Amino acid sequence: MAVEPPDERRAFLKVITAGLGALTAALAIVPGLGFLAGPARRGAGASGPGPLRVAGERDVKPGKPLRVTAVGPREDAWLRLDHVTLGSCWLVRAVEDGPIKAFSTVCPHLGCGVDFDEKTGKFNCPCHTSAFDLDGRCLGGPSPRGLDQLETHVEGRDVLVRYQRFRVGTAKREPIG
Amino acid sequence: MSADGTPAAPRRTPPKPLRVRAWLADRLGLEELARTVAAGQVPGGASLWHTFGSVAAGLFVLEAITGILLATVYTPSVAGAWASVAYIQDQMTMGWFVRGLHSFGSSALIVIAGVHLLQVLLFGAYRRPREMNWMVGLTLFGVVAVFALSGYLLPWDQKGYWAKLVEATITGSAPVVGGAAQKLIQGGAAFGNLTLTRAYALHAMALPAVLIGLLVLHVRLFRRHGYTPKWSLSTEDAAGRATPTWPDQALRNAIVGALVWGVVTVAVIAHHGAPLESPADPTSSYLARPEWYALPLFQLRMFFEGPLEIVATMIIPGIATALAFALPFLDRAPTNRPGDRRRVLAGAGLGLAALACLGTTALVKDRRDPAYAKARAEEKVRGETARRLALKGVPADGNVFRNDPQYRAREIWDDRCAGCHGLAGTGGEKGPDLKDYNSRAWIRGFLANPDGPLYMGTAKIEKGMKPVEATPDDIDALVEYLYAETGAADADAARAGRGRDLLPQKDCDTCHDFDGEGENDGPNLKGRGTPKWIAAVIADGSHPLLFGDRNKMTKFRSKLTAEQIDDLTKFVLDLKGH
Repeated sequence: MAVEPPDERRAFLKVITAGLGALTAALAIVPGLGFLAGPARRGAGASGPGPLRVAGERDVKPGKPLRVTAVGPREDAWLRLDHVTLGSCWLVRAVEDGPIKAFSTVCPHLGCGVDFDEKTGKFNCPCHTSAFDLDGRCLGGPSPRGLDQLETHVEGRDVLVRYQRFRVGTAKREPIG
Repeated sequence: MSADGTPAAPRRTPPKPLRVRAWLADRLGLEELARTVAAGQVPGGASLWHTFGSVAAGLFVLEAITGILLATVYTPSVAGAWASVAYIQDQMTMGWFVRGLHSFGSSALIVIAGVHLLQVLLFGAYRRPREMNWMVGLTLFGVVAVFALSGYLLPWDQKGYWAKLVEATITGSAPVVGGAAQKLIQGGAAFGNLTLTRAYALHAMALPAVLIGLLVLHVRLFRRHGYTPKWSLSTEDAAGRATPTWPDQALRNAIVGALVWGVVTVAVIAHHGAPLESPADPTSSYLARPEWYALPLFQLRMFFEGPLEIVATMIIPGIATALAFALPFLDRAPTNRPGDRRRVLAGAGLGLAALACLGTTALVKDRRDPAYAKARAEEKVRGETARRLALKGVPADGNVFRNDPQYRAREIWDDRCAGCHGLAGTGGEKGPDLKDYNSRAWIRGFLANPDGPLYMGTAKIEKGMKPVEATPDDIDALVEYLYAETGAADADAARAGRGRDLLPQKDCDTCHDFDGEGENDGPNLKGRGTPKWIAAVIADGSHPLLFGDRNKMTKFRSKLTAEQIDDLTKFVLDLKGH
């Protein structure tokens, strides 16, 4: 270019250049944001698996909580798993032949696994010392709510539980997915 | 507070935004940087010729961004690679677009880097004092090529798998170090998980580091020596016509960049992302073809067979590469004028023409080859099936075809049925051969020789059925009757009716009832061969309406689930063909 463009024109060219640069950058960045946000917006699959057999009904003795694992199908991104451990729960029965309750082992405070202390007869969270009674009520510690009870029923000689996960750290019980 | 402890005089504080800017500029040396950038000059004036290097760098940034995005999902394992890529392609928000940008962006990068190289060649920009930068540039081009080669294995689909297998074998054919190099690439004696993890580590970690390092060096050396103006300009002329890089050259870079981006985007949308074939199947016989940029080499190999193959795979490419690196020292021309460098430019032109010819030959040959078209069509069906099945979720072992009832049924068949029944039309071990089961031909053969080796003969049933003796016309009618009972839609109702009327006359009714209710020695013929009937035979053939106490087949009711029996029934129904 033989003639030097005036400063005003150069300023305009700078704006155009920056605009084109921004446009090309947007082509990767905008879809990229959608790409990253997509999985975050997905639920954890439908309403979770149906009732799963976790134990024999006779195995649950009164006053002796039984820790069992729920094994069932799960979808995880592209994977479809037919038999994986979905989580654990405590089966509790107050009296012989009485009804059975199931509590998720996930502590509603920050998600640690809750143990049962046979000496005190309470559920204790090993992480932050939340304690719960056999009905799942919070007796102390930082947990914002009692243990999460899971839907359960006895079918023949089997105990079936509908395993679910709940949001932790909130006073309100809120299922995930 | 000043050093002697007296309060310092209040300084005039500029408005806040300026203060922050000045603080940052002071710490980061921003003004210096801005001055350096602004001071850049293009001798001879800004030009479209000078845009390609910047556009190539921009494409690399696009590859980096989309590559990082893909890496948030991609899983380098034999079981997970294809499944995760199919998930990106078919299920994720904008997944196909991001993957398409990465794939077509890499092709664009190779093209633009190639054009950049040709421009440097044309302008004589490889000559003194830029010899080193020419070699750095060539190395960068090589790194981009390795990027591409390692990248297209990663989806672990048929195309990537087989192309990479061929390349690994070519590497293995190199003298002395070949075998060791092949094992290094593969991570062992054969292709497997380590092949993928190695290719991934190379593609996503090692190569980016190498490329960024070389790119910094490339730009550094470019800044040292500057643009090479057009050969027709004297040094004084070029200096006189110089224009600032920012914004004059930058604008041209941005325009060409935007054009290339546009082409890439259109290609991505037109192809709905990048192609993804069916998962790698090492047992298949796949017609392997490399990506477009490797086609010339592929075609070159066709001319050198047997022990001479190494000429095409190593010697010719090796000589070409060595010549390219040595070019600045071989070129003794007095000026940058093309007229003074005829031999160099003619050599480069010939090389380019040869690449184009070889590539085109490979493409045209495949386009004219019906076997190639057939293989592509088969792969298309297989690929579409696999991706449709993947929408239901891929099993942990990565075998997406397990989602297909037919495939599952075939597995059950191999496991439970093939021991007794044949499928090849050559007879079974202990039961009828089911090739073309329930077709008119199968029924006709059965009536002619029920106790023959293709039918019940191998089951060794005591007092089995005797061959049906009748005129050809009557046989036709009986076949049609049985054919109609299977529920076949194309059965001739009139002829089938006549066949039914013939049953008592041919003494069929001695052993068979045909009302769906009567229990007799042989199976009740009502609805024989329908899906329900087949499922019932698989479940328990000893039902009084079926084979009764003559049944010799295993009762699968307690061995298979209802769903498995259903799958198997469909499998058996499909044996008839269409």
